[in-house]
Amino acid sequence: MRVLVVEDEADLADAVARGLRREGYAVDVAYDGDEALEKAAVNAYDLVCLDLNLPGIDGIEVVRRIRADGEGQPPRVLMLTARDRTVDRVVGLDEGADDYLVKPFDFDELKARVRALLRRDAGRSGALLQVGDIELDTARHEARRAGRHLALTPKEFALLHYFMSRAGQVLSQEDLLEHVWDENADPFTNTVRVTVMTLRRKLADAGAGQPVETVVGRGYRLREEP
Amino acid sequence: MNRPERLLDRLPEWTRSIRFRYTLLYSAVLFGLAAVVLAAIYLVLLMALQATPVSAGRRTFCPYGECITLITFREAERLINTQTLNKLRFYFIGGLGTLFVASLGVGWVIAGRVLAPIGRITSVARDIQATDLSRRIELPGPEDELKQLADTFDAMLARLDAAFAAQRQFVADASHELRNPLAIIRTNVDVALADPDASPDDLRQTITVVKRAGDRMSLLVDDLLALARRQQPTLEHEPVDLGAAVAEASEDFVVPAAARRIVLDRAIAEGVVVTGDREALKRVVANLLDNAVRLAPEGSRIRLATGSERGRAWIAVADEGPGIAPEDQAHVFDRFWRADKARSRADGGAGLGLAIVRQLVESHGGEVRLHSKVGVGSSFVVWLPIARPAVEPAKR
Repeated sequence: MRVLVVEDEADLADAVARGLRREGYAVDVAYDGDEALEKAAVNAYDLVCLDLNLPGIDGIEVVRRIRADGEGQPPRVLMLTARDRTVDRVVGLDEGADDYLVKPFDFDELKARVRALLRRDAGRSGALLQVGDIELDTARHEARRAGRHLALTPKEFALLHYFMSRAGQVLSQEDLLEHVWDENADPFTNTVRVTVMTLRRKLADAGAGQPVETVVGRGYRLREEP
Repeated sequence: MNRPERLLDRLPEWTRSIRFRYTLLYSAVLFGLAAVVLAAIYLVLLMALQATPVSAGRRTFCPYGECITLITFREAERLINTQTLNKLRFYFIGGLGTLFVASLGVGWVIAGRVLAPIGRITSVARDIQATDLSRRIELPGPEDELKQLADTFDAMLARLDAAFAAQRQFVADASHELRNPLAIIRTNVDVALADPDASPDDLRQTITVVKRAGDRMSLLVDDLLALARRQQPTLEHEPVDLGAAVAEASEDFVVPAAARRIVLDRAIAEGVVVTGDREALKRVVANLLDNAVRLAPEGSRIRLATGSERGRAWIAVADEGPGIAPEDQAHVFDRFWRADKARSRADGGAGLGLAIVRQLVESHGGEVRLHSKVGVGSSFVVWLPIARPAVEPAKR
């Protein structure tokens, strides 16, 4: 899952990014509204953590534009705001933000809200994700196949998470690179292939059959039924 | 509060109203005046008519078995006078009694009419006290004393309302400004604590960030306290050698200026004495210099000068850029205003410096002016009422 953190306080933006990266998200950071719009135009984000008070283009305006000119599915927007007046939050939510957090916030709460927003895409209501005999607990960061624990790296976990939230869909290498890796990933390396390979090996070791299949010439797909 | 209950307190409430007292006074005065006038008329008549009782020289005459009383014509006249005066006294007393009762009624009605606007003012004021300050009495009617009273109330309410609104805005702004560094501290600490294998370098980095946010908060709190303190009249009121205070305040900026290769020129006139608070005036200079040293381009020149002119003392701080856009010049003295939010925040300014300058200068009966041109530079000039002019300008 790919996240954009937009915050003009560099110390805060970097800490949020660091914390979210450790959760397995691919995180980019923008320090003002212009940079945020540029990155949102280039990359397909699943979620944007947005400070409302930005120099240059205001946060509300950023929400509006992200919502307006997004091709495909626009990202979920979580507002971070230091304004505690109701009217600011109402305006933000009306303009298309999905949720808000008032600063200063508990980082655990931020993580929970990010998870909750990303769940909405998959049409689920809990932190537990299940496809076939694979189970994923996004809150505890645990993956199981047929009841057996999978020892995954954060990247593999993120990859499996993305596969599971789009089970049955064919996902190209570019899709995976866009949503699971951040902007620092080199698109010309075979990092996606290698990670998919290790993930498949770990899945195969834990149960019978290979749930992640290759669709020749198009990409990969997680089978919905074993 | 254990006073014995006084007679007044035992009376029913309506007897304690102004209306009642007004009515009593009105009818007492009317009754008194009427009584005096009638008594005077009566006495004058009494003296003029010499109405002595008729009984002394009365004789009885009984010629044919029947007796008749004989009186002289003079006596008859006196008898009539006496009867007339008696009747007059009776009517006077009756009239006075009627007048008293009537005046009570009339007084009650008139007092009620006169006092009605006060009742209106009171009830609206009570309403406003219980609800919100945005309401006004808006008493209709001619421009009389009561309308003036109501208008004065309205003006006072408007000021209170504005003051409360400003206070609310200030608190909202201040809490907003405090939230950001707080969020930095919490998030960084949360993230660091959640990582079981954080390296000492990671932790050191987190601590540095937290310290930076903490420093910013303490600066902000200092500034807020300075502003809040200004709202109470705790400023000293004593003669201050302006040159010495300015020179002292500027000493702190020599090193920071040099660090940015900024030349700090000082032309301080000696002997200018103003009345006020020495620490507050030093803070004015410090805030102006702090802005200049932080924001002026590296390698530029800042000039600090003081002097006196036409009975006023002045302090000027001029820099060589970046200057302030004309549309922003009206806002530079507002609380929490910044020309460029991202840059100034990173530089540690809370956006309160110039607000404090203006407040301190105005509380000294002075004013602060800004002359600025984008790309050329800004100069802030503080004018203060003078206690003693400069002896001679001296260059330092």
